[in-house]
Amino acid sequence: MSSSKKEVAALDPSSKKKITPVQIVIYVFLTIIAVTYLLPLLWVFNVSFKTNKEIFTAPFALPEKITFDNYSFAWTAGNLGTASLNSLIVCVISLVLSMLIGSMAAFGISRLHWKGSKLAMTYFLTGMMIPIHCVLIPLFTRFAKVTQFVNNNLGIEGFHLTNSLTSLVLPYLTFSLPITIFIMEGFFSSMPNELIECACMEGANIFQIFFKICLPLGRTGLFVTGLMTFVGNWNELLLAMVFISDETKKTLPVSLSKFVGPYNTNYSQMFAAIMIAIIPTIIVYCAFSNKIVDGLTAGAVKG
Amino acid sequence: MDKMLRNKKAIAFFMLPAFLLFTLVLFVPIVQSVYYSFCEYSVLTPPKYIGLDNYKAILSDKTFKIALKNSMFFLVFSCVSQLALGLFFAALLTNIEKGRNLFKNIIYLPCVLSSAALGLLWMFIFSPSLGISRLLEDMGVKEPPLWLMDTKGTIILPMWVIAFVALWQYVGQSMMLYMAQISGISKSLMEASYIDGCTKPMTFRYVTLPLIKPMVATAMSLNAIGSLKFFDLIFNMTEGGPNHKTEVLATHLYQQGFKYSKYGYASAIGVVLLILCLAVTLFINKVVKTEQYEM
Repeated sequence: MSSSKKEVAALDPSSKKKITPVQIVIYVFLTIIAVTYLLPLLWVFNVSFKTNKEIFTAPFALPEKITFDNYSFAWTAGNLGTASLNSLIVCVISLVLSMLIGSMAAFGISRLHWKGSKLAMTYFLTGMMIPIHCVLIPLFTRFAKVTQFVNNNLGIEGFHLTNSLTSLVLPYLTFSLPITIFIMEGFFSSMPNELIECACMEGANIFQIFFKICLPLGRTGLFVTGLMTFVGNWNELLLAMVFISDETKKTLPVSLSKFVGPYNTNYSQMFAAIMIAIIPTIIVYCAFSNKIVDGLTAGAVKG
Repeated sequence: MDKMLRNKKAIAFFMLPAFLLFTLVLFVPIVQSVYYSFCEYSVLTPPKYIGLDNYKAILSDKTFKIALKNSMFFLVFSCVSQLALGLFFAALLTNIEKGRNLFKNIIYLPCVLSSAALGLLWMFIFSPSLGISRLLEDMGVKEPPLWLMDTKGTIILPMWVIAFVALWQYVGQSMMLYMAQISGISKSLMEASYIDGCTKPMTFRYVTLPLIKPMVATAMSLNAIGSLKFFDLIFNMTEGGPNHKTEVLATHLYQQGFKYSKYGYASAIGVVLLILCLAVTLFINKVVKTEQYEM
């Protein structure tokens, strides 16, 4: 047995410790690829420190002196601080709610006994194929009607469903539900029956079983779905652009797209704005890259 | 215990929030959207049933035809290129040990970045006086291509540029999906094929490829739906211009619905988009998905 293993090792080039010529070619090629991935980002990073004049005279040289003026201007003029905060609020609220509501439904489908649980699962899963664009117009007009109704008939002034962060949380949350339910259902149904029986013997009620046992045990699933939800919503542009017109309520992608556009001629500030928008993501990504990549892939594999 | 698991109140508690949200914010609007697509509807006028007129108007709408053509181009291009390049990268990365994570993470990085920001970034790189054109001029090229402004040919240059940027951004995801599947193949299968005298490429062709076929279906339907929903990059790189030549279905829907407030007409575009998404997913799952092998 051991001799055959040795033979296999000799036949399989990857099990050799030495780097083969083929691998050198692979490394060279991958380095070129990596450069094409990093160069655009590094170029913008470089340019964002230049003055407007420098950009046109020498776009590829290093900046003459490093100033953060572009950044501070873009931060205030582009409203990027408020926008980042809005994005954070919207994303965190939809993240928490979608994880809670989604895993509750997943628990209900996989663990509780009732007719139609299969049907409910199919119902939720169809949501995965539906593009968010299709509900844009009905939601937009419906939100306006609800606002009008509440303001006029119920006499609650100052209630706004349109032009508020709630109008983003609702669709973001709902569109994250199918994937959350799908992944969490997998986790809950793979948990052993004895676990729940045991808890039941000890006198736990159904809510304790869910919140104290199943939810903590499914935290890998929660991490995966939470990551997918957060990344997707953080970068969402179309819905945020349509639903929000109030300057102080815009999210980061929208404020950025508005600030960087044909009406702005100060290129260096626009580059700084782009950097402000992506640097936080890059920092978080660098810190947890393996976990993030594996988590998102696991989510996509299951979805 | 069985009694507890059949408790109607508990079932309602767990199911109702998701069910209500899903129905009110997703399902009802879809139905409404289909209804609106048969109506004349704008900011000023309430919906009025006009039958198939919106769909007739779509068929004679030049911009819609361009948008449909461009969306189809994206669909085919992204499915083919992501499959080829994603598989290629995955094959390269599984053949090295040192630095695999580093390269993997670099290639995956744009997937998590905001495509709105990346669209703006690439817009500057392809703008006439900066970026690539400037670099080519400095190197002595007399007339560099116009990149995002060119309008010649059936599939115009800007579309190719945007398609390549999209490939650059999202190929990491396909790559990771294939890598996950490849690393799930048991070592003994590989060893068996080496003992039978297979070379590395042959093993890849006859062992690895058939085994990752189910993942091809998954990755392809993700790519297909993603490319039909494509909005951010185009909106920030060209805004559908020059002269609506780079419009896709999603940008056309946005223009018609929220620039010109033609809700009924935009809903009809949305319905077309929805049907395409469903059809493509079903098609890919029928054609590509084969029997699952035991691994």
